[in-house]
Amino acid sequence: MKKMTITLSVFLLWGSMGCKPSTVDQEDFDNLKKEVINHFADHVAVATYEDLHTGANNLHNALLALEANPIEANLATARTAWKEMRSVWEQSESFLFGPVDANSYDPNTDTWPTDYVQMDSLLASTNPLSVSDIEGFTLSLRGYHPIEYILFGNHGDRTAASITARQKTYMINLSTDLKNSCSKLLNDWVTPPKYIDEVKNAGNGSTIYLKKQEIYLTIVEGLIGICEEVGEGKMKDPFDTQDPGIVESPYSGNSTTDFKNNIMGIQNVYLGKYKIDGKGLNDLVAAKNKSLDNKIQTQITAAINSFDNITMYYEDAIVPPGQRVQIQQTMDALATLKTTLDTELKPFIIQYITD
Amino acid sequence: MKYIYSFIFILLLAACRQAQPFDEDAYDERLSGGGLATVFDETQGAFGHEVGGLNKRDNEVHGIGDVTFEQSFVAAPAPVNSGLGPLFNNVSCISCHHNDGKGTPSAGMTNSSLLIRLSVPGKDAQGQVSSVDGFGGQLQDLGIFGKQPEGTVEISYIDSIVTYLEGTTVTLRKPTYRILNPYQPLPANLELSPRLAPSVFGLGLLESIPEATILGFADENDTDGDGISGKANYGWNYFTKRKELGRFGLKASMPDILNQSAGAFHQDMGITTYLFPTEAVYGQPQFDGLADEPELADTLLNAVAFYLKTLSVPARRNVTNPEIKRGQALFKETGCANCHKPVVQTGINLAIPALSNQRIQPFTDLLLHDMGPALSDYREDFLANGNEWRTPPLWGIGLFEKTNGIPYFLHDGRARSIEEAILWHGGEAEKTKSSYMKLSVSERNALLKFLKSL
Repeated sequence: MKKMTITLSVFLLWGSMGCKPSTVDQEDFDNLKKEVINHFADHVAVATYEDLHTGANNLHNALLALEANPIEANLATARTAWKEMRSVWEQSESFLFGPVDANSYDPNTDTWPTDYVQMDSLLASTNPLSVSDIEGFTLSLRGYHPIEYILFGNHGDRTAASITARQKTYMINLSTDLKNSCSKLLNDWVTPPKYIDEVKNAGNGSTIYLKKQEIYLTIVEGLIGICEEVGEGKMKDPFDTQDPGIVESPYSGNSTTDFKNNIMGIQNVYLGKYKIDGKGLNDLVAAKNKSLDNKIQTQITAAINSFDNITMYYEDAIVPPGQRVQIQQTMDALATLKTTLDTELKPFIIQYITD
Repeated sequence: MKYIYSFIFILLLAACRQAQPFDEDAYDERLSGGGLATVFDETQGAFGHEVGGLNKRDNEVHGIGDVTFEQSFVAAPAPVNSGLGPLFNNVSCISCHHNDGKGTPSAGMTNSSLLIRLSVPGKDAQGQVSSVDGFGGQLQDLGIFGKQPEGTVEISYIDSIVTYLEGTTVTLRKPTYRILNPYQPLPANLELSPRLAPSVFGLGLLESIPEATILGFADENDTDGDGISGKANYGWNYFTKRKELGRFGLKASMPDILNQSAGAFHQDMGITTYLFPTEAVYGQPQFDGLADEPELADTLLNAVAFYLKTLSVPARRNVTNPEIKRGQALFKETGCANCHKPVVQTGINLAIPALSNQRIQPFTDLLLHDMGPALSDYREDFLANGNEWRTPPLWGIGLFEKTNGIPYFLHDGRARSIEEAILWHGGEAEKTKSSYMKLSVSERNALLKFLKSL
């Protein structure tokens, strides 16, 4: 009987907790739903694309300086500019929807692998390598990776003096092409007919997102998508085949940093924290389910930190003994995070954001 | 006597327990792809999910196919993804089938998804229309650096206005195509057929529909007098080396996904496979002379075909909404459902249980229908004549805006909305289009909303 009483009390207590209004009332929660979306649009997505545009300008200027004065210091500056821009781009891949997807900015700037045959014949030709020529080239001759190949060579063995005049012209105009793509991508978000309005007016006049739930699901699917792409594609494919040839960004040795930045992009979106910390998905989740929020935040942090254990170049780390244990641990952390996003965060959105 | 009544009662009870046909209304209408091949995702990634229930090995193969479908290919010889071209239309599957969905009706650009089939009158040994000397059966409008493409495509549109009874107007655009700068003269009797990349999900379910079901829909001579014929096409299977019922391609001339995929690698990307081991430009000056065939490993071609077979169909949305219900009834009443068959049952598929014996809602009969002269390409494709096109599946069409931006419809992407696509219907569908045009504004909206729920 005593046991029964205790059980009953626990049940009643649990019941009363269940009946208690959640930590925020519905009106606050409704406002929060709008704030999170507005903050994501203005201070995560657009802010990231602004930085990407700035990064492209910096890279372009650094390449001009390298052309004017081909010294090692200028080569180092250009490499840093490439990596900085790359860092922003990889973070932006946590929200690969909207114009970046619909208007092909992703393949136009970030196609892999390098096409050595075509690049060699291009550089050996008399093609003027102008920006309009580049726009007409196949995707593998555009974007980040041909620039990376010329700037870094194999793991940075390229010297400033060894870069030919043709290579410099090609690189500089590639960077102009990149700049143009970044500028157009930003404009697609902020100049009429601006995509940002579709995001902010989801469920309230947007023709793409008829319900708020749709933009939230789009965002969450973006997070799940990049988590899967890194853990089950970018890392796993070379890991399984032990083939350094299929690792992305091998010339700069930047692959692990690329992967980590992808997951930092998840954190930016989830926390609503890119440069300014504002309302994010974490606030929405915490308002209804604090333990789920804790779980997601912990798993994101664990995944991000796990990359630091991979200290070798990724293309070396996959070859036994390399650092296969560390890589497996990171892939496991990503699998855990993906499962939580897919089986807990997504249902949370479906349950609590119905309008 | 008492015993007799008891006996009858027991007999009745037993009769009640006999299997009864499942009530049609009791099915969940959201399940477009059946129980395991329907996915609940209405975002831009809605077309990219694998079917449920795959074993670990199949799951891996699907993943490998997925990666290969997305990879950009590069000029041979290369350590990774070698074999692009020398001539091609695009560099990866995904470049045309964007997000596993539809394409953009432009040609010769990195995001283009329109290609032009070429022929001259006459038939080859397999019964296909004759290809063009020096060009083959398709215009490759791009080439690797230093190789001259076969030509470029100029697309222009002429607008026309359609007016509903109440005065509302819709602008339709009719395309015309010209081939500019051919690398050598084109024959005077050249025939062109523009083809826009279709979406690629749900194909395994379509492949699993029994031939008997499709042939059962056929009524080539319209013996039932309903004005709708429905004609089966038979294309060449390069694997079995015989003619088989066509299901895929815009003229239903491809018997299966393997042939369709290998054909696309060969003609659209210039990549040789075990089904097509000779370069598309063999015998032309652009030929690379490399002995690297097949450029795509057999396992990768098979994995891509498997990937396409095992992509789920997005679930329908808002199926209980009264306006959408009204639209659904109008879809049937106006006659749309005569060709766009709402419900079809797949057959037994031993290899992939998720596709096996499923009640699916593809909204197609996979047959050819005369769509009238305005849509004609005036060119044969196996048994299809110029006016005849395969009924395209309608599942997923309500999501194209999310997966592909502007949702282009019809074989050449001339329609920029579902409404425009309906208004282009002619031939056998003329009567149905007229019924649609006589509907009130609210009825038309209901019908369009129903289509957007697919």
